[in-house]
Amino acid sequence: MGVLVLALALGVTLGLLTDIGVPPEMLTYVGVAVLAALDSCTGGVRASLEETFTDKAFVFGFLTNMLMAGFIVFVGDRIGVSELYLAAVVAFGVRVFDNLGVVRALLFKRRGWE
Amino acid sequence: MPQEVNEEHGGTLLHLREESMRALHASERVVGRSFHDARLTASLVIGLLLVGFLLVAQWRGNDTVTQSLEGQSDQDLAIIIQEITVENVSLRDEVMRLQARVLDAERDTASRTEVLNEATRELNALRLIAGLEVATGPGIIVEIGDPDRVLLPQDFVALIHELRTGGAEAIAVNGVRLDARSGFGGGNGRVSVEGRSFSKVYEVEAIGLPSDLEQALTLPGGIRTTLTTFPGVTVEIKVSDSVTVPAKEAPVLVYGEAIQ
Repeated sequence: MGVLVLALALGVTLGLLTDIGVPPEMLTYVGVAVLAALDSCTGGVRASLEETFTDKAFVFGFLTNMLMAGFIVFVGDRIGVSELYLAAVVAFGVRVFDNLGVVRALLFKRRGWE
Repeated sequence: MPQEVNEEHGGTLLHLREESMRALHASERVVGRSFHDARLTASLVIGLLLVGFLLVAQWRGNDTVTQSLEGQSDQDLAIIIQEITVENVSLRDEVMRLQARVLDAERDTASRTEVLNEATRELNALRLIAGLEVATGPGIIVEIGDPDRVLLPQDFVALIHELRTGGAEAIAVNGVRLDARSGFGGGNGRVSVEGRSFSKVYEVEAIGLPSDLEQALTLPGGIRTTLTTFPGVTVEIKVSDSVTVPAKEAPVLVYGEAIQ
């Protein structure tokens, strides 16, 4: 678990060091993609605790989640419903919270706090 | 007996073999799990690295958008435009005001310069009249010969008076500049002016319009006629385009004081 927090911190540090900003027209795309990636990661942690984790599924899910998120935003922009990205935001948001809830419950159970 | 022993021995071997196989499988499982765990951690680490990086990039991009005009709503933009327009108008007013002030200042400076120039011209004229400056210009030179020493100071007073009447601006007698306070004195055939005395030969230089000056001296019954009636006296008038009259020192006034 500590390694994962460290990895997140390292990613943030890398971002701070490289001084890269997302261009304005890409903001929604990258924002939803970040949510998707976050969903995949929390899902990965959950799966590893449930011992159903396979790296292939994780990588595949990670990539398809991000691509699908971007695709939804793109489609929304194209068909004049640019608020469609909200659907992706809500879906991924719910899943992230769901995953985090399960992870928390599993961790509690493993440590015997429940 | 050996058969029994062998059988017993074979049973133990079998048992050992099963045991070792089980241990092998267990260790294989452990290796497999730890390998699996490593892959799990590695993929999660990579995923989270990416998430962190993207988060920061997104944060930055969002910051620049909210600061730029593109990220503002139409209402905000309208307000901004209005504010800028008002500011523009007031700035324009200020520009006009400042330009007016610049014009005023320029006019002021011009008039001041004019006054200064006028004052300078006046001062120069006054210095010329007072005899403080070397003066040069067209004029006449009057050469008077008096070998018998018959001329008196009042003859020179009359001569100078005639020259001034003719418009002389600067006059010198034998290189001595005359000013408003100069007076002639002397006696016994000598004429003194400004503390220096002369006799026999006099040279009077006067700056002014030469024809006027000459006329002032040569009028019928004028000063030349008067002077030449004295025995031995000769008066010769020369017109020159460039007469130079020396300067004299500034007088020290003891009693007079200007009223402001």
